[in-house]
Amino acid sequence: MSFTQQRPAHAAPSRGRPAPRVTFVGVLGELMITAGVILGLFVVWQLWWTSVEADAAAATQLEEYYEQDLMTPVVREAAELNTTDPPPVPEPVGYGEMMGVLIVPTWYGKTNNTMPILEGTGLDVLDGANAGHYTETAQVGDVGNFSLAGHRRTHGNSFLYVPDLVEGDQVIVETADTWYVYEVTTHEVVAPSQVDVVAPVPGDPTAEPVDRLLTLTTCDDPVLGAYGNSTRWITHAEFVGWMDRADGMPEQIVDDPGVL
Amino acid sequence: MYGWIYRHLPGPAALRVFIMLAAAAGVVVLLFGWVFPWVSAEIDYFNPELG
Repeated sequence: MSFTQQRPAHAAPSRGRPAPRVTFVGVLGELMITAGVILGLFVVWQLWWTSVEADAAAATQLEEYYEQDLMTPVVREAAELNTTDPPPVPEPVGYGEMMGVLIVPTWYGKTNNTMPILEGTGLDVLDGANAGHYTETAQVGDVGNFSLAGHRRTHGNSFLYVPDLVEGDQVIVETADTWYVYEVTTHEVVAPSQVDVVAPVPGDPTAEPVDRLLTLTTCDDPVLGAYGNSTRWITHAEFVGWMDRADGMPEQIVDDPGVL
Repeated sequence: MYGWIYRHLPGPAALRVFIMLAAAAGVVVLLFGWVFPWVSAEIDYFNPELG
């Protein structure tokens, strides 16, 4: 019997060894392994790559913001907070436009503690590692509840450490001409449908606001924590003072190299 | 399946391995750039919005 007669009819030209048969079970097995690899890649993409892309987008956004002509240059020395006069309130900006920078001093060294604040809370805004301003809530510094949403996990992990904030921690908002300083008061964990946490008076949608508040909202889950999404973590803060950019900057961030 | 594709590629072994790796890289680019963002938007799992 010659060699060529031993090879299966469908095999490719041999390199000395007969080619293995392509079987249904073999192909099925390879497809299932492929599906497993693709699922693994999806997890890598979701938990890592979305942040790589988002962080780059946010860095560009910040750079462009600081290059604007209307920015009052940063004076890198600590200045006194104005706690008596009402702060200037910026004009609302259009959806997706940048209105300022969110800075959380206690996140320094832990994570990126400086991020753009954009108008709106759609995923096109939040997926860029931005804090999104709930359009219907107050402007920064104004009486009412200036409320921001951010991703806890994925797309820059912007608000990953919101649950670590404790009473008295500062939350600072920087605009083209003003520093606004808030201090954390309370937090609550609510259902995603409970929108009254961003009402002018949190929990009381019909009440007339008298305080200047800031609220941060992000994903939460009682079991999965940052990896879950069945509840929302809400952290409230209260306005303590402001200063003109021309006078200096809040002392907590004078030495923070992340703050430009 | 992959063995069948490998056997039907032209050229020496090194070229065949290169073609297989390049195809795999192309598939990953396709997945990361288009397929995964679409799937993620469909399942909408990590959306932190209220409401």
